[in-house]
Amino acid sequence: MARAAVVCGLGTHLPSRVVGNDHLARELDTSDEWIRSRTGIGQRHLADPGQATSDLAVEAGQRALKSASSGAGQDGADAVVLATTTPDHPCPATAPLVASRLGLGTVPAFDVAAVCTGFLYGLAAGAGLIATGTADSVLVVGAETYSSILDPADRSTRAIFGDGAGAVVLRAGEPDEPGALGPMVLGSDGTGSELIQVPSGGSRDPFRAENADRADPFFRMTGRQVFRNAVERMAEAVTEAAARAGWRPEGVDVLVAHQANVRIIQAVADQLGLPRERFPVHLDRVGNTSAASIPLALADAVTAGALRPGHKTALAAFGGGLTWGAVTMTWPQVAPA
Amino acid sequence: MSDTYERLVQLLVKNFGFDTDEVAREDTFSKLELDSLALVELTLAVQQEFKIKLTDDDLDANDTMEQAVKVIESKPVVA
Repeated sequence: MARAAVVCGLGTHLPSRVVGNDHLARELDTSDEWIRSRTGIGQRHLADPGQATSDLAVEAGQRALKSASSGAGQDGADAVVLATTTPDHPCPATAPLVASRLGLGTVPAFDVAAVCTGFLYGLAAGAGLIATGTADSVLVVGAETYSSILDPADRSTRAIFGDGAGAVVLRAGEPDEPGALGPMVLGSDGTGSELIQVPSGGSRDPFRAENADRADPFFRMTGRQVFRNAVERMAEAVTEAAARAGWRPEGVDVLVAHQANVRIIQAVADQLGLPRERFPVHLDRVGNTSAASIPLALADAVTAGALRPGHKTALAAFGGGLTWGAVTMTWPQVAPA
Repeated sequence: MSDTYERLVQLLVKNFGFDTDEVAREDTFSKLELDSLALVELTLAVQQEFKIKLTDDDLDANDTMEQAVKVIESKPVVA
């Protein structure tokens, strides 16, 4: 029997600075009503100047390790996988720095780049490390400082995105125990790569003196096409992940979807024919935190009592790439630290 | 007599909070104040209700309800 990856710890961190919609409305042509009606977002947390993705990741990682230690007696981790769109530097990866700062020594550590689907891709990578015996435990972190890549003048992205971090600890275990990740469904479609993109600063359009006047270093998103793709891909992925786990889609008690837009979450619920109440909403308080959104929403749902041990739980995400994914598990006895 | 129009109206009632008598056959989606995201949501709801496949452009803000009914009825039902 293959070794399963079992969730045994959960931790989050949000930077302390809270920016409400009214604050944005003072700088941009927008309003609280406009943002709430289109996205469901009321406020977001933003990193302070000088605060980088690794700073948020270390805080969330520490708490996840503490949660695993106090709940499951799992101390430390044999590997670190960090999902992020906003690494501290284009090179090297941020995960080794996070591992060192967490006191995990010289463990394998690498970044995963799958934008808003990053946390699920990170879980898949972590589960793979466990399945192959490379590690017996893995810290999987989703951490973002989108405020560092948003165009100050772009009301559509500034209204949506926030900063934050969330992490889980995976340990080797049995496929039938609570917290064991079910078969993962992951997908990508590079024909849509321009729909969610930072146009410049990579090898296609490096920053050089000669393109300084036209280079675009900011995150861009084409909302309408992304919306439809997100709904259809997440609904399909959940249906498939549930089927592979031997569940009927309507048997899912709680579905924690990537917190991009409340209207996307509701549309996914409608497509699946599931009551919207089964979809926890956290984005009203933190916005879209990309790779951090699923662990942040998990912790919020546990704290609120909406997600309890024994719940048949599905996670679903969609993001730039395009990428998407879903996975199932029975929620274990895990509380955020 | 097909009931496509009535079913389309019901989708607007259910998804966007309209009253049945607030919608008329000659109303365009923009007159009904459906923004671009709402049209995407309606596209997804129509696909599910009528078991058809729509492109991103099949429902246009300037289309009337009557025109949308014709578009819906022109599409083959998929499993």
